[in-house]
Amino acid sequence: MNSFLEVIITSFQKNLIAGDAYLIVLKGLRVTILISALGLLFGTILGGILCCFRMSKITGLKRISQLMIAVLRGSPVLLLLMILYYVAFAESRIDPVIIAVIAFALNSGAHIAEVMRSALEAVDKRQLEAARMLGFSKTKAFFAITLPQAGKIAKPVYQSTIINIIQWTSVVGYITITDLTRTVNNIGARTGDPFFPLFFGILLYLGLSYLVYALFSIGKKRGEAI
Amino acid sequence: MIKVSDLSKQFGELRVLKNINVQINKGECIAVIGPSGTGKSVFLRTIAMLEKPDRGTICINGTDITKKEINLNQIREKMGMVYQGFHLFSHLNVLENITLAPIWVKKQDRNVAKQKARELLSTVGLIDKAKSYPRELSGGQQQRIAIARCLAMEPEIMLFDEPTSALDPTMTCEVLGIIRKLTKMGLTMLIVTHEMNFAKDVADRVFYMDEGGIYEDGTPADIFDNPKKEKTKAFIRKLKIFNYEIQSTGFDMVSMNAQIEIFCQKYNVRAKQVYHIQLLLEELMMEIFKQCYEGAQPDMAFAIEYSDENNEISIYLTYRADDFNPFEYGGNDIDNLGMVLVSKISKKHEHLFENGRNKINIKL
Repeated sequence: MNSFLEVIITSFQKNLIAGDAYLIVLKGLRVTILISALGLLFGTILGGILCCFRMSKITGLKRISQLMIAVLRGSPVLLLLMILYYVAFAESRIDPVIIAVIAFALNSGAHIAEVMRSALEAVDKRQLEAARMLGFSKTKAFFAITLPQAGKIAKPVYQSTIINIIQWTSVVGYITITDLTRTVNNIGARTGDPFFPLFFGILLYLGLSYLVYALFSIGKKRGEAI
Repeated sequence: MIKVSDLSKQFGELRVLKNINVQINKGECIAVIGPSGTGKSVFLRTIAMLEKPDRGTICINGTDITKKEINLNQIREKMGMVYQGFHLFSHLNVLENITLAPIWVKKQDRNVAKQKARELLSTVGLIDKAKSYPRELSGGQQQRIAIARCLAMEPEIMLFDEPTSALDPTMTCEVLGIIRKLTKMGLTMLIVTHEMNFAKDVADRVFYMDEGGIYEDGTPADIFDNPKKEKTKAFIRKLKIFNYEIQSTGFDMVSMNAQIEIFCQKYNVRAKQVYHIQLLLEELMMEIFKQCYEGAQPDMAFAIEYSDENNEISIYLTYRADDFNPFEYGGNDIDNLGMVLVSKISKKHEHLFENGRNKINIKL
């Protein structure tokens, strides 16, 4: 038992303490969070726009957004990332982190557009009619009834979309970005003891997921569920 | 107040409303009754312009609201609609449900709206539930909140679309009690309902809807105690009717008897009575065939009416022939055993002769 503990402590020192390796890990974590957060932010904006187009009565806009959503949702984010890095922005000296943000914004945007649409369509139309009968205009009824209710419906799916993005950012190493995954991998390669740093990496990703979960549980009120 | 002229509405091939003309005065309480699928709800929804009519006009206080340039939101502010399924805002608590429209639409001050909502909540007896969410309330409570939500906008017209159809008897009672209170407030009300006693009690006027229009219109006394038209009568007395025509002396009596039996079983008529109906018809027909249709084809029809209300069975038999009353047979009873049986079974019977048709009305 004691020897097992010793092995862990040695590994810990060798991999994380020696040469201030934990600082490098923190740096990698920062890149992961940065790409995820910005990707999510722009993805949500793009998702909102795509969703608007998708639900609009103008056939042209509808078709365009349908096509975009289908293509973006149907293609692996890693390929998207590589196409942007090696083809689209191959000539420009743009920071790969920005390219990663663009790729994740595009990919998550398509997903979020569909999440938004299904939530909006799931709102009880009869409550909307009740609001119209009380004198609400279409716009007012949207902001007073549809939006808050759709928000509640979309919340759990949106939450899992965020966690998905965080995990998928682990592939950005392919375009030379040193994110959390890349960092722990490097440490493992250097110390020749890959198990400990990789396992530690998983723990950090798990911690991020729980952080997201905790953020979403704040402000949950009694009787709020629909 | 509300004037509906020449109103028509159809869904695809189905003509739901056909040329409705009606006027409703300020402060009147109108009960709309009738069988399912006769356009009662559509009529109500059309008055609120939730369904756009195909033809005709709806004037409210002299303004034709079917016109395109009309701002319906303003019209609807003065109109409350109560639904069968309540349709409360599920993301808001009771107090917020009631104050939402006054704050958003009327731009009322938050505290004023809350104060008013509390008053309304005590009117409907639910002041304790102000902080509850709709899903925590019973159906009756939800419906009372829905009524309070409408009242918060101080409407002039209230439309009730089967407000108690989704409720059990106790809850129905709660809700009807509140609606009864409203009649005293001088609101113009239209209530689509299946609660006949309530309609009779509360309404100033009753519309019986059938055949895509207001089939009969009158005071509750007119409609409930003395309906003039055929279908109104059948509806008010909860009549179930079975019709049959006979055009040949060799008609399929076995099949007729089977159909009568199925009809009777549907309404739980006792087996003995079913047998009586069949026996009576058979004897009557044989007698009439013998006397009126020697070598000719008969022109005969009958209807069996069963009243759900008092379990009464009536038989109406008509036949085209010379004036012949089978009950007035000559000779002794032994030779006319069939008719003796018929007379014995029936409680009451009469024979009439009008326009070349004999009519026999029998009550069992």
